[in-house]
Amino acid sequence: MGSRRSRLELIFDILLAIQNKGGRIKPTHLMYKSNLSHKLLNMYMEELIGKELIAVQEEFHKKREAPVKTILLTEKGSVFLAEYRRMREFTDAFGL
Amino acid sequence: MYQLFFTPSWFNGYDLVFEGISLIVALLIAGYSWKIYCMSHENRYGYFSLAFILIGLSLALKMFTYGVLYFGSLREVVATALSPVTGTGLEFADLFYRAAFFLQMVGLLGAWLLIFFVSQKSRERLHNFYEVSQITLFVYLILLISFVSNFNYTAFYLTCAVIMGLTVLNYYKNYLNTKRNNNAFLVMIAFLFVLLSNISFIFVFLWESMYVAGEVFLLIGFLMLLYAYRKVRRS
Repeated sequence: MGSRRSRLELIFDILLAIQNKGGRIKPTHLMYKSNLSHKLLNMYMEELIGKELIAVQEEFHKKREAPVKTILLTEKGSVFLAEYRRMREFTDAFGL
Repeated sequence: MYQLFFTPSWFNGYDLVFEGISLIVALLIAGYSWKIYCMSHENRYGYFSLAFILIGLSLALKMFTYGVLYFGSLREVVATALSPVTGTGLEFADLFYRAAFFLQMVGLLGAWLLIFFVSQKSRERLHNFYEVSQITLFVYLILLISFVSNFNYTAFYLTCAVIMGLTVLNYYKNYLNTKRNNNAFLVMIAFLFVLLSNISFIFVFLWESMYVAGEVFLLIGFLMLLYAYRKVRRS
């Protein structure tokens, strides 16, 4: 089993999971892709929404007759992903 | 008589330019590492940033002290400005110069040790007590070596060379662990040039031109660090 992910690594995994799904994903899929518990994911999602790295869209689903949530990656979120990749490259290069 | 500097006269001033370039590179790396520290709050980035700030300060101090020695006009201005400290007849100038040299050495030794400390990949991030004990040991060694080096500069460059040798080994391991990452390779070679620089400075007492070789190697090392840094920022 790998070591515990840091806070930034968790945020990166969440945003990357959304990006890999074309920039929009359902909460349940995100939970599985980012390998987080429901409680932890909700906690991080609140933070990410507050920082405008993601947005939540609700659409009314005709068949289910209930609103369906979709998580969207914002422009700011994309920028963060690119910056994090640079930070990781810096860390690898300088042996940190 | 205590020899103040070993620069061949034709090289006067060029070493200051080289150090100015290295100073800028050091500050760029320190700045980016600090930015990462502010985001991640992981101590290793803070230590790395501090290391390069210390390098920058040390280089700046060296540029100032050597500039005063090389250029008469600057020497006169500084002598006037610092006469309360150095005395009207410059009777305390030697002490003042030794203090500046001491601070240079403390800065540079501290920086190399910090980089060595950070480049050692521990499985778990160091626990606070272990960090404090290691840092205390390093501070003691830095002060001891810097004090001794005031009487024999070879001790300083020999210590730096040993630390850099171990650091290069750490970066070689890092290069292998990152699956032969190109940027990791560049950083390893950069520190190898810094090692060669320190080895050259050890032998300045034999040939003055070893000082030039040392300065050139140091510049090459920092230029390689700059190139690696630019590659990372543009990725």
